[in-house]
Amino acid sequence: MSSSSRSAVAPKTLGKRKRQTNESKAKVNGIKKSAGPKIQTTREPSAEEEESDAYEVFRRHFESQFKPIEEDLRPKQPKVEEKQADNDDEEDEEDEDSDWSGISDDEGKRKVEVVEHTGKPSNSNEYDDLAAKEEMKAFMSSKPPTAARKPIPKPQKSKENSEDENDEAANLKNDLALQRLLRESHLLDSNSSLDPTGKNRHKALDLRIQALGSNSSIMTQEKMPLSHRKGIMAKASEREEKRRREARENGIILEKPKLTKRKDAESRRERGVGGPGVGKFRGGMLKLSKRDIADIEGPKRMAKGKKGRR
Amino acid sequence: MADPRPRLVKFETQRSFALRLVLATLTGKTIRVSNIRPSSTNPGLANYEISFIRLLEAVTNGSAMEISYTGTTIAYKPGLITGCAPGRGASGGVIRHELPEGCPRGLSYFLIPLCLLAPFSKAPINVLFTGPGVITSATPMGDISVDSVRTAILPLYEQFGIFNNIELRILRRSCPGPGGKGGAGEVQLMFGHQVRVPKTIHMMNPGRVKRIRGVAYCVGVSASNNARMIDVARGILNPLVSDTYVFSDVSSAPLIPSATKADPNAKRKLGIGFGLSLVAESSTGAFYSADVASPPEGGVPPEDIGRQCAYQLLETISLGGCVSPAAAQTMLVLMAMGSEDVGRLRVGKKVFATEEIIDLGRDLSQLGASGWGVRDADAEGEDLIVSIVGSGFGNVGRKIA
Repeated sequence: MSSSSRSAVAPKTLGKRKRQTNESKAKVNGIKKSAGPKIQTTREPSAEEEESDAYEVFRRHFESQFKPIEEDLRPKQPKVEEKQADNDDEEDEEDEDSDWSGISDDEGKRKVEVVEHTGKPSNSNEYDDLAAKEEMKAFMSSKPPTAARKPIPKPQKSKENSEDENDEAANLKNDLALQRLLRESHLLDSNSSLDPTGKNRHKALDLRIQALGSNSSIMTQEKMPLSHRKGIMAKASEREEKRRREARENGIILEKPKLTKRKDAESRRERGVGGPGVGKFRGGMLKLSKRDIADIEGPKRMAKGKKGRR
Repeated sequence: MADPRPRLVKFETQRSFALRLVLATLTGKTIRVSNIRPSSTNPGLANYEISFIRLLEAVTNGSAMEISYTGTTIAYKPGLITGCAPGRGASGGVIRHELPEGCPRGLSYFLIPLCLLAPFSKAPINVLFTGPGVITSATPMGDISVDSVRTAILPLYEQFGIFNNIELRILRRSCPGPGGKGGAGEVQLMFGHQVRVPKTIHMMNPGRVKRIRGVAYCVGVSASNNARMIDVARGILNPLVSDTYVFSDVSSAPLIPSATKADPNAKRKLGIGFGLSLVAESSTGAFYSADVASPPEGGVPPEDIGRQCAYQLLETISLGGCVSPAAAQTMLVLMAMGSEDVGRLRVGKKVFATEEIIDLGRDLSQLGASGWGVRDADAEGEDLIVSIVGSGFGNVGRKIA
């Protein structure tokens, strides 16, 4: 203990010292009470001790008359220590004037062991373990540390409850299956199982691929005779036309028809490199058709008025 | 100004100049600041103040300023805070702001006000600070280091509901150059979270300090300086908070071209030194920071810097309240700009009773914000509770959009 702390509790020590003399010579109590005002300030602790003393006296008296109190064990031990402490104190007193630890006799027994986990501060290389590295990455990144700190506990969480994760995975799987069923249910026959088979399987697969962003269906036939294709297209347009006509007759408003661009307007035939940009070159002569000439001349005046309208 | 409009708000002297301009921009009031260093040998606006005005002009649209011939008076009519939309001076969405040589202020002088504007901007703010005047460390003029801005100021925005896409990249470090002027660092601020109004906060409980983090930086000097600073600082702080880490950042000195006739390609080193930034975080999310850097003239051992910084941090914590002095202005301004609701903040008496905070309160009330309510936090009277009603202006750009 430093001297400053001793001086801080100076009045107390004064009183306490009195008590020690009390214990060695039991009489002094009386004197103390009659002592001057200076000591009166310290009356309280001494009064307490008086009580304990009185208790001690009563106990001894009781023990002499009857037998030692059973539950002695508890009070006895401190007493022994007290004596020791008293001796110590006396020695102390011989050494230096005012070092007293009266109440601390009791406290000394219950003293809480203080363990400091400070260690020797050393260079920061000490924190080479993974957590510290992550921490460092999070702290030294360009983001404010609280925002960066959040994602750290995530991996720990997933490790902890793998069961939860399994559940999650199963849920996801079921979810996907349900979604697929809902989307492809129109392909299923009433009597077949839930998984489409054969041709329907291909159709389902095609649907999925298109949902993922495919431009064309795998079911469209790329190559066929021109007459076939023409027939198909004619049929399709006829069907569409019929649908629109019927809707119009019934007063149903349909979506606007898609504008089909004229083919030759949007893309010209790919011409060879180095050849003329217009006309046909044959036999050392560039031949221009009427249409080519019309293209070069541009629209006529007369048509201009109409051209603005669509 | 030929016709003084009734909405013109008049201020005097250069005190908290940057903050006044920011407040004017946020409230949309025209202000006039006069008597700027009238009797100084170098009267008028300083170069860093001019530079801040340029920065303000870059991130706003339609703002107008008029500076008198001597530079002792400026009239500022704020525009819309547009941020860094590409096509308006921002190449690729990044505004490049060059700080002039001889700038004695740390970069935090520009960063903290800019961060106050950023949540109310229309587009994200993305500014790259370059040039021979960027000092990233703490400065003798009292500016905190860029690390402290990132680790102690920016996390506070999270309490106001502003936390996404905020980044402060320190691309190159620099300490103050000779005479405390200039540096050649490079820092990029990205503030990508814009809100209508910041959330109302109630911070009544400072909590207990649970962790201390820090950055020790050295520029162009031996890395052992860092180790020595960290050693001493941890020696002081570790017995108090065991969760104390101080990270070390070593960088080489920035080079700036200094062409001479003899050698037109000559370069010289600028802004070498070292420093320490410490941040304590409490269990309730309050931040306390401390910053010390080696003086430009040198001559201080790193142990002293480490010790001074650790003690400064302890002092900041001992001031109490939920904010440190460095962050108090930011918090109070954001509260004042919040929705029309009462926010409460516990502030230490010694933090509150400073010139800057009292000035801030007066400036705000002059600009039409409501007054602050101040009462004792408890019977002990160590702290105050400051209640602030938000202005409810919020982000004009967001209102339309």
